[in-house]
Amino acid sequence: MTYFPEEVVEHIFSFLPSHSDRNTVSLVCKVWFPKLRVLTVKGKPHFADFNLVPPDWGGYAAPWIEAAARGCVGLEELRMKRMVVSDEGLELLARSFPRFKALVLISCEGFSTEGLADIASHCKFLRELDLQENDVEDRGPRWLSCFPDSCTSLVSLNFACIKGEVDSASLERLVAKSPNLRSLRLNRAVSVDTLSKILMHTPNLEDLGTGNLTDEFQTESYLRLTNALEKCKMLKSLSGFWDASPVCVPFIYPLCHQLTGLNLSYTPTLDYSDLTRMISRCVKLQRLWVLDCISDKGLQVVASSCKDLQELRVFPSDFYVAGYSAVTEEGLVAISSGCPKLSSLLYFCHQMTNDALITIAKNCPNFIRFRLCILEPRKPDAMTNQPLDEGFGAIVRECKGLRRLSISGLLTDKVFMYIGKYAKHLEMLSIAFAGDSDDGMMHVLNGCKNLRKLEIRDSPFGDGALLGNVAKYETMRSLWMSSCNVTLKGCEILASKMPMLNVEIMNELDGSSEMEENPGDFSKVEKLYVYRTTAGARGDAPNFVKIL
Amino acid sequence: MAECKGGGDRSPSSSMDSSTHPVLSTTSSGCRPARRDLSIDLHLGLSLSSASSLLAPDSKSIPSKPRNQVPLDWPPIKPFLKRTLTASARRRRTLFVKVYMEGVPIGRKLDLLLLDGYDSLLAKLCHMFKTSITYADVMEYHRRVPHEKAAYVLTYEDQDGDWMMVGDVPWEYVSSLPDKREETEDCKNG
Repeated sequence: MTYFPEEVVEHIFSFLPSHSDRNTVSLVCKVWFPKLRVLTVKGKPHFADFNLVPPDWGGYAAPWIEAAARGCVGLEELRMKRMVVSDEGLELLARSFPRFKALVLISCEGFSTEGLADIASHCKFLRELDLQENDVEDRGPRWLSCFPDSCTSLVSLNFACIKGEVDSASLERLVAKSPNLRSLRLNRAVSVDTLSKILMHTPNLEDLGTGNLTDEFQTESYLRLTNALEKCKMLKSLSGFWDASPVCVPFIYPLCHQLTGLNLSYTPTLDYSDLTRMISRCVKLQRLWVLDCISDKGLQVVASSCKDLQELRVFPSDFYVAGYSAVTEEGLVAISSGCPKLSSLLYFCHQMTNDALITIAKNCPNFIRFRLCILEPRKPDAMTNQPLDEGFGAIVRECKGLRRLSISGLLTDKVFMYIGKYAKHLEMLSIAFAGDSDDGMMHVLNGCKNLRKLEIRDSPFGDGALLGNVAKYETMRSLWMSSCNVTLKGCEILASKMPMLNVEIMNELDGSSEMEENPGDFSKVEKLYVYRTTAGARGDAPNFVKIL
Repeated sequence: MAECKGGGDRSPSSSMDSSTHPVLSTTSSGCRPARRDLSIDLHLGLSLSSASSLLAPDSKSIPSKPRNQVPLDWPPIKPFLKRTLTASARRRRTLFVKVYMEGVPIGRKLDLLLLDGYDSLLAKLCHMFKTSITYADVMEYHRRVPHEKAAYVLTYEDQDGDWMMVGDVPWEYVSSLPDKREETEDCKNG
């Protein structure tokens, strides 16, 4: 390995325009590694969020924490997403980095509240403990009382995903000695009364996730809450609302005019009228996450009230009645016409039309993220029964800055022709139950110059598409294909042509017996995950994963 | 499409022959025509199965899961949200159905989600109507043990408007249906 003087290396790296590239380089550059302060690691593929990746696939945090403990003890921030983190790992983390300041875990699993106790106990300068949607085993509320009295540096604390009870007295003490607290997200065990007490100590709070807001409480409790909330002049973002009763809604009103962010996606107990009474007062709202209980009518109220809206997410509230939702294309058309600044969308609905999508595209050419999920797979245009190719075609044609796209409904190869032709800045594409032939996937691989992540499920793309542009995968972060038509033979050919890729296949139906393949086997591969590697095949793959 | 051929074990000579048991409709239009054919095609008539029928050419359809379960990987929402909404749904949902006894115009109502299976449904109804009632599985028992007598048979009207014997659909699926109506029917055991 040729040695370059550090000044030369730094000079070369100064030509890297984006800090994300510089960050990546710093991880592989042995000279820079010991000076690492912030480490971000993502583990499982995105479709792991939807149970498509079997458990024990991998994504273990331990090797990363161990390597960091050995090599860069100056580490201050660790951010991990979709990884398996253990209590032992958290303990090692807590003890190894004397200047550790921030731990952010998103959609992780494998640890318990005991691991959090170690973090609280040993990280003297902890500023940020942000636990987003993790699966955390509850081993009691002890962890919250582990913060030593000397720890007064907390700026951000998010434990909304913790399932169990929380000791109110410990929580109040912790908040009282954290004058810099800007962001606080509680779990559903925290009562209204505790919340009111806490808010008396947080005049600088900007982001709040409430505890539960049931109707088991007296009006006086809610009045105390309103008084406490009024002290938080800086409060801009609100979430939580666990088990929120409609009774609690008016007590939030005094805050509404100052809110820029509102997340009501965990609150199926509020219906269209409760929601609109609140949201119609939120005239400065930029980000809204809500359930489809809001209905098309409610979205019309949002459209007329929230002119600054930039991000909207509408989630399905009742998935036991498959395919049903209270929102349709009408709600989205209303939003697009009332909120021209809309740039980020995630919308679950039960029907859509080409006309609506064409209108939406014209109204909102600024979309950067457009994710549409029609709940019933392969559902056509609700009015014309045609595929939705033209509608999505309009989206990619009008929205020239589009970086992320998820498509759904009945779609032929034509939509992929449009995507390949127009979506020049597209970085991530999610496809489900779409397309007719290999041509579809080929359009995307050949046309989308900036494509980084491609994830496909239940679509008829086979070996022809997989092997049609193999060099493309070296320019991409990853490719996921599940329940498609790729065969073992096709995957083997890919692996042999591209040694710098890891070609992982998962056939879990019969367990390991399926993996005793014959060369030239045309049996279909259930799940395929392809990604670049500088280190060859990983050593921690379980036996249902075969790396070719 | 979720389908099964029912009635294979029930011969026409059993008390199941519905031509002798007129069904009292819950609508004002009067009696529905009696069902003669006991080899029943059970159409669940749910949105889930109609989604499956759209996917009919591709046998994979919604990823292979037992028919009586909501697919684990669709719709694509995160497990934390799914868990939270499911827990809330269990706490808050009700599924009231109307139950009529033949010959009695005023019915009763009960919440299916407060029950945990067909046995408790039957127990509840027997208590409400002060009579003994049978349903599908129990009919089998009576066929084999002919001296037992049951006064009433429990049936329901599904989304297609067909009258069906209660008990064949797995309970978990039943308690996820948005709307059902139920009725009891006379039965003469042979």
